[in-house]
Amino acid sequence: MARKIAFKTLGCRLNQYETDSVTSDFINAGYEIVNFSEEADAYVVNTCTVTNMSDHKSRQTYNQVYRRNPDAVLVVTGCMANNHKEDLESNNRITYTIKNDRKGSIFNLLDSHFKGEIISPDQLKADRFGFGAAEKSIRTRSMIKIQDGCNNFCTFCIVPHVRGRAESRPYSEIEKNIKHALEFGYKEIVLTGVNIGRYERDGLNFEDIVGKVLEIPGYFRVRISSIEPEGFGDKLFNLFQNPKLTPHLHLCLQSGSEKILLAMRRQYSVDDFRIMVSKILNRIPDFNFTTDIMVGFPGETESEFRETCKVAEEIGFSHIHTFKYSVRKGTRAERMPNQVQEKVKTERSLIIRDIAENNKKKYRSSFIGKTQKVLVEKIDKTGFAKGYGEHYFPVRFKADELTQTKDFKLVRVNGLLDDQDFTVTAKPV
Amino acid sequence: MEVTINTIFTVQGVRHLTDSTYIVRLDRKGMMFVPGQNLNIGLAGDPEKRDYSIYSSLEDNFLDILVKEVDDGLVSKKLKKLKPGDSIEVDGPFGFFTIKDEDISTKKFLFIASGTGIGPFHSIALSYPELNYKLIHGVRNRNETYEKDHYPAGCYIGCLSKDKKGEFRGRVTDYLRQNPVDPDTLCYLCGNVNMIYDAFDILKEQGVPSGNLHAEVYF
Repeated sequence: MARKIAFKTLGCRLNQYETDSVTSDFINAGYEIVNFSEEADAYVVNTCTVTNMSDHKSRQTYNQVYRRNPDAVLVVTGCMANNHKEDLESNNRITYTIKNDRKGSIFNLLDSHFKGEIISPDQLKADRFGFGAAEKSIRTRSMIKIQDGCNNFCTFCIVPHVRGRAESRPYSEIEKNIKHALEFGYKEIVLTGVNIGRYERDGLNFEDIVGKVLEIPGYFRVRISSIEPEGFGDKLFNLFQNPKLTPHLHLCLQSGSEKILLAMRRQYSVDDFRIMVSKILNRIPDFNFTTDIMVGFPGETESEFRETCKVAEEIGFSHIHTFKYSVRKGTRAERMPNQVQEKVKTERSLIIRDIAENNKKKYRSSFIGKTQKVLVEKIDKTGFAKGYGEHYFPVRFKADELTQTKDFKLVRVNGLLDDQDFTVTAKPV
Repeated sequence: MEVTINTIFTVQGVRHLTDSTYIVRLDRKGMMFVPGQNLNIGLAGDPEKRDYSIYSSLEDNFLDILVKEVDDGLVSKKLKKLKPGDSIEVDGPFGFFTIKDEDISTKKFLFIASGTGIGPFHSIALSYPELNYKLIHGVRNRNETYEKDHYPAGCYIGCLSKDKKGEFRGRVTDYLRQNPVDPDTLCYLCGNVNMIYDAFDILKEQGVPSGNLHAEVYF
């Protein structure tokens, strides 16, 4: 009988991509993949450590496993394994602690384990790009890792310490990975990494990579994952006129206050951000901007927070991922005075969420009467299909004769549901 | 450009400019960098590391960093006590506070620094001798103008807030208000976050577009 493996991923898309790739290794070798809540022979928890909350959720997740099945093999990997390696290794409930650069070898580790051979994690091959394309059965869109690590050292951020220094993947490997994903039948490719805008390898920058990816033949579209507003300009903005490149960016603002951006040691100003947005909107007026905003950075005053609110409303981000600042050991902000009270952070976070909700409703309403090319993710029992259009918002429509998921369907938007997410409703064209 | 991680470099010596400011010189070991970049430095085996801009020029066969001793600092005090032959651990170079090759011979630059924020500008100015620039340096007293004779005549303007014997008496922000900047100038600011913030406001009021403003914050 096939061994059962369960996976749980916390945090960013890059983590998700890496889990998907490792999962595919097990599928290809005949293992059975089960839900994380089910009984399994091994559990792999791909953790996140970007905030205190991430640490908390990661700990909660691997502790659950032990309570559910104390005899199972428990593998903890991801950024927490880098940031708290010694703590995790001294926890006897955890079988293996695997750092990020060895995550791609988890299959070898567990497969050997089940065959009776115990490999020390330090003996596993270290390769930050040792991940193949995910099996089509796992996802609707295929993430492709083009870069890892970051050299920006924003004062609040632990990522350079846990993901390591910036490194870009050779284009030949990216292309190979994409072609493999297209062979699996994927119709949407998501370029992902830690700081992809700073891609730099063999004389190519991020704009060059996007341009080259768009030239790969095939019926597919390309999405850019979360990106910092730096390292690219007009060349990328012009590429958005290619219909193969989806009109959406998750462009991380963090704060709308120049002073806070400086203290965060971000590499752009609010004005730079505004100019970037306006240049894109001049080319594509209905472009979708989403973002990350951090509230309660040390020293953030009420008036600086209001500046952020103003920018969030002005740009009209249709989705805002709001973070409450939390101290990360070893970062520069850990040593900053004027830490903001938790209560204030929560209040600010709720205010940003309200703005985001209003923005979302307004943005999505503006699509009523317009078409969207939806990549169908699922068809539910009531006969409704759901997926994401090119602008990256959820669209729901009556499937009728449609039976095939993971392919495109052109629809016309006719309204918004009054659900929590303002899901867009549509009719096939 | 190759980035060095946890690499041991040998100290050539420490040169004291004031009681609390000093230059640590290291073997370069062939390190490639772009003037304006920084290194992450700590004592060998010590987990505490800090960022310091490279102070030396591209032509030098050593690496200099300019260090200000911080009260209760966990790294700066240790760096002050280094002796020739000691080992330190270096990561880098990092950072994007650099100037574009195509701008070197065509653009006019204004460098604005407070205290040891002059570090990257020293590297830039000495690496590109043909550069058309003015360097405004905000410090309290004349003994903090560091190695101002390294810059060509007329390029360095010391703004001394507590000393009359400088090129300008007052803060860099006072200088900027009295000497409006041509909006075509590429402005690079390095130093204390409040100085940068105030200078940004003044430069914007004077019509300098945000695309011409670049900042590196020192804490």
